[in-house]
Amino acid sequence: MIDVVGFVISWLTIFGIYSILSLSLNLESGTAGVTNFGKVVFYGAGAYIAATLTTYLTLILNGVDVTETPPYDVRGIVLLGELGSRNPLMSLGLLVLSLVVAFVIAGALGYLLSYPIIRVGPAFVGFTLLSFGELMRVFLQHYEPVGGNKGLMAIPTPFGWVAESRVREVAYLGLVMGVLATTYVVIHRLVNSPLGRTLRAVRDDEVAALCLGKHVPKIKAKVLFVGSGFAGVAGVLLAYYLTSVNPNMFVPAVTFNVWAMIILGGCGNLKGSLVGAAVVTFVDRVLTFVTPYLGVTVISPDYLRWVIVGLLIVVVLIVNPRGLLPEEPIKTPALEVVSEELGGGSG
Amino acid sequence: MVLEYQVMINTVQYAFFYLVFSIPLTLSYRTTKVINFAHANLITYGAYTAIFLHGVAGLNIMSLATVVAFLVTGSIAVLNNVLVFTPLQRKGSPPSIVMIASMGLWIVYKYLLYIATDIANYYTSRNFMSYGRITYLDIPRGVGPSQALVAGLAIALITVVSLYVLLERTKIGRAMRAVADNPLLAEISGIPRTLVVNLTWFVCGGIVGAGGVVWTSFSGATTPEVGDSMILQVFTVSFVGGLISLLRTGVGAVLIAAVENVGIALLNTYFGVPVSFKPFLTFTTLLAILIAFPPLGAGGGLPYRFLRRGRGSD
Repeated sequence: MIDVVGFVISWLTIFGIYSILSLSLNLESGTAGVTNFGKVVFYGAGAYIAATLTTYLTLILNGVDVTETPPYDVRGIVLLGELGSRNPLMSLGLLVLSLVVAFVIAGALGYLLSYPIIRVGPAFVGFTLLSFGELMRVFLQHYEPVGGNKGLMAIPTPFGWVAESRVREVAYLGLVMGVLATTYVVIHRLVNSPLGRTLRAVRDDEVAALCLGKHVPKIKAKVLFVGSGFAGVAGVLLAYYLTSVNPNMFVPAVTFNVWAMIILGGCGNLKGSLVGAAVVTFVDRVLTFVTPYLGVTVISPDYLRWVIVGLLIVVVLIVNPRGLLPEEPIKTPALEVVSEELGGGSG
Repeated sequence: MVLEYQVMINTVQYAFFYLVFSIPLTLSYRTTKVINFAHANLITYGAYTAIFLHGVAGLNIMSLATVVAFLVTGSIAVLNNVLVFTPLQRKGSPPSIVMIASMGLWIVYKYLLYIATDIANYYTSRNFMSYGRITYLDIPRGVGPSQALVAGLAIALITVVSLYVLLERTKIGRAMRAVADNPLLAEISGIPRTLVVNLTWFVCGGIVGAGGVVWTSFSGATTPEVGDSMILQVFTVSFVGGLISLLRTGVGAVLIAAVENVGIALLNTYFGVPVSFKPFLTFTTLLAILIAFPPLGAGGGLPYRFLRRGRGSD
């Protein structure tokens, strides 16, 4: 029997996490024209920051010597399972700490990475970020304190102290939706601000923006800071949701999943990002839920899913490059006045 | 002894590979102005053409595999151009949109190959996910250099000589260079631009695929990730050439091969850095190039170096 409520909760949670990613990518790429092919770097960084902070601090605050029982060890994992759900205050405190630290560190990483690439063309930008993601994966696979290839497991969740599992899931969904709403409001304000107009100018013609006195590299660095920070926050939410992280979760294909969302929804339209994220994650969840009922087949649905994502990008770009919801004019007071007067004049 | 014989051999071997993989990338970019991220697939598909010929059909003749791979990957490149790049360019999409489409193609091809290996595995029950080194019949072996080195030298020489002859000595080559310099002017002068662009894609795709075949005689375990694992190096080599100069791309191939192989050998001996950290050296080189000599204007960047103060900035 298919568990409909469970399906909806898991879909909405994944949708929320991916929406944060697609909104931030839309700010960077749809609005500012920074071809960020390394979204997964900041997503992964956020997830690893949450995992590392939470597991280590849970053990340390409970008086466990992490040099002897590190969290990636079997004994550490068992201890985490016991200690993680004891203290509600500590769980929530670690959540807030992870969110803040992940935003700052992921954002700073984006800001630093913008230095070498901001003067060169989109191909170089995209490529450098893409290969940085692969290098980060190689590094994490070999870095023992974060568990190497196995990653970190049994991450204590913020609502681990809630006894009822359905209530826990709903509470977590509420948290994700809260963060999503915050992200949407912040990015919506940014896009419809003078900065947002400058970003569109930079996207459409860098040289012209430069000639009008806009410091293009500085603006792009700013945007990468904000976008990467939110991607880090999405990573934190993913780590708590899955309660485990490992390097192979953060492959470049994840970035293109997000790209498919913003291309499908419409570059430069924030509501489009939400629609795109909803469609792509829904297909993804349905495939995950249906697969066990199909039995073993020669063609793995996992591979098929990525082929669909890739085809989606290519086909939408060729058939309807503006996406489902095309970009709208920026909402400014001046525009409102003009449209009001025009409306009044004609009517 | 740090710089052992093997390190030197590897440097030369990788220089051949990077040369064969990067020169087509530079050539295709400067002729068509498309940054093709699906380039990685061409390497992989070349290698897997040889692997399927060996594993499914039981053939291990490199010259045959090379010709077949050339045709397969060349056709894929032309197909990409006809079905995706040209329609996008005709609609007036900016280069970054075409680049994103090539990214989409990259992941389509990548996972299609995974599906193909699964199907091949189902019918032959051989492991195509990690395929062992193929020993070819038609390449001399025995004492002395390995098959891969001989084949690598041959393919690099053939590529360089034939491209030189093609570009400098034939009418088609002149047409290619004309399209690269100014597509509009070339078209006005009566050069069939579409044909020249398709031909460029075919030649570039084919060379990369042929290089992929040589890889199967070198690597002990070829996986469907082979192209992806080399894309950092291949693109960095092309960036050394600024995506314009074929000669500098060749120099870049030698440079990156040396930095990687000699560098990691030294680091491994003195600091115990794992050999799999090799790409970090290439990435550092890439960052150094981007900061010290940014390829201005290439791929749609600002056409001049951005200065902090004065000269019209800020």
